[in-house]
Amino acid sequence: MPKHLLASMLLAGIALSGCANRPPASDKEATADYEQTNDPFEPSNRFFYGVDDKLERYTLRPVAEGYNAVVPTPVRNGLHNALANLTSPVLFADDVSQANPRRAGDTFMRFIINSTAGGLGVFDVAKGLGYPAHETTFGVTLALWGVPDGPYLYLPLLGPNNPRSLAGRGVDSALDPFSYVPHGYGLLTLNWARYGLGLLDTYARLYPDLDRARAGALDPYATIRSLYRQNQASLIEASRHDKAETPPAWAK
Amino acid sequence: MPMLTRRTLLALSGAAALLLATGALQPASAQSGAAEGFVRSFADALVAIVNGPLPYAQKKAALGPVIDRNVDVAKIARFCLGRYWASASPAQQEQYTTIFHQVLLNNIAGHLGQYKGVSYTMHGETSEGGNALVATEIVRPNAPTANVQWVVETVGAAKVIDVVAEGTSLRLTQRSDYASFLSRNGGSIPALLTALQRQLDTTS
Repeated sequence: MPKHLLASMLLAGIALSGCANRPPASDKEATADYEQTNDPFEPSNRFFYGVDDKLERYTLRPVAEGYNAVVPTPVRNGLHNALANLTSPVLFADDVSQANPRRAGDTFMRFIINSTAGGLGVFDVAKGLGYPAHETTFGVTLALWGVPDGPYLYLPLLGPNNPRSLAGRGVDSALDPFSYVPHGYGLLTLNWARYGLGLLDTYARLYPDLDRARAGALDPYATIRSLYRQNQASLIEASRHDKAETPPAWAK
Repeated sequence: MPMLTRRTLLALSGAAALLLATGALQPASAQSGAAEGFVRSFADALVAIVNGPLPYAQKKAALGPVIDRNVDVAKIARFCLGRYWASASPAQQEQYTTIFHQVLLNNIAGHLGQYKGVSYTMHGETSEGGNALVATEIVRPNAPTANVQWVVETVGAAKVIDVVAEGTSLRLTQRSDYASFLSRNGGSIPALLTALQRQLDTTS
């Protein structure tokens, strides 16, 4: 699997590159900053950030710009919905592992309704019927189970991460029934197309906001790091506080 | 993107109402709803300019006074400098606050200026750490909708002290940016001021 190869290359890269210098213990404020940033691999992270930045600028960016310019918004939204719909089985498992019965119910109903009435997920009919979309990952589950996040890792192609979110990615990918399509029958191609389109869809939606964040930053690397951390924290808190159960209609 | 669902917010505001009813949050009860009205009038003013017919430069000029009236810029500026505020001389603090003011205006104009047809919905008010949190959902054409929370200081005149978009706080992000820049430049305030000025010159 190319994914495994990539992971071992990354780990080797981290092991080979230097670590950030810890400030002297006498400088209490700098030490507090260092610990709060929790980025001991900063030199290698910055290196990969730089590589990714160039990759993005010369490969993904022109494609995403063309995609946004040529493909009409309703079609892009439809594709986004369809791709999101395909993640429902994983999302459902994550909701269950987070002990969020209502979210799990929402996900289940969304998958049933949008896959059928929503034309294979192209239209988000379920939202209007009271089953709103939400987002979570197995990394969030691990956080709710008390697993600490560990040091910040910026990985090429995968972007901002930490060991916990990486472990979560692994579980999510193992939970994904589409990971197990048999080789042949063109299904593998379909799967790769799904990954490719997923990347394009995510990036095309994200890059205008990402550009603004980077343009407004003196240190874009540190800004992305901070945005990632806050984003993770808010996903975790949103899941933690969405515990209510909703009685089904027939039980009222 | 993280989604604070409407239900979460309703549940949160429900919990807040319950606390109010049991008297756990007595002092806040007098203020309840006030911050929401304040944010609504601020947001209306912003939306009126953004959706108006003016060209970008004039929109930005019009945003200035609205932001000054409704946002505690000096307080945000100070927060963003973090521990380095104390090491800056009064003259540097003043110069920094002036530049920061322009940077903030640029950022807000940059975030809002390109969109026409922006609309928003209010999703209630909660309180946290003595501040009011007002939740809104902002709908931008050709862009994903954004959940935005406004942190309003309710002691004295109501002023916005932070904006949290999709779980990411404007002032926290800015502070970590400056902190990282300063730690890589030997904590030099003049270097920060030069970099901020350069950033202003290239973006405005």
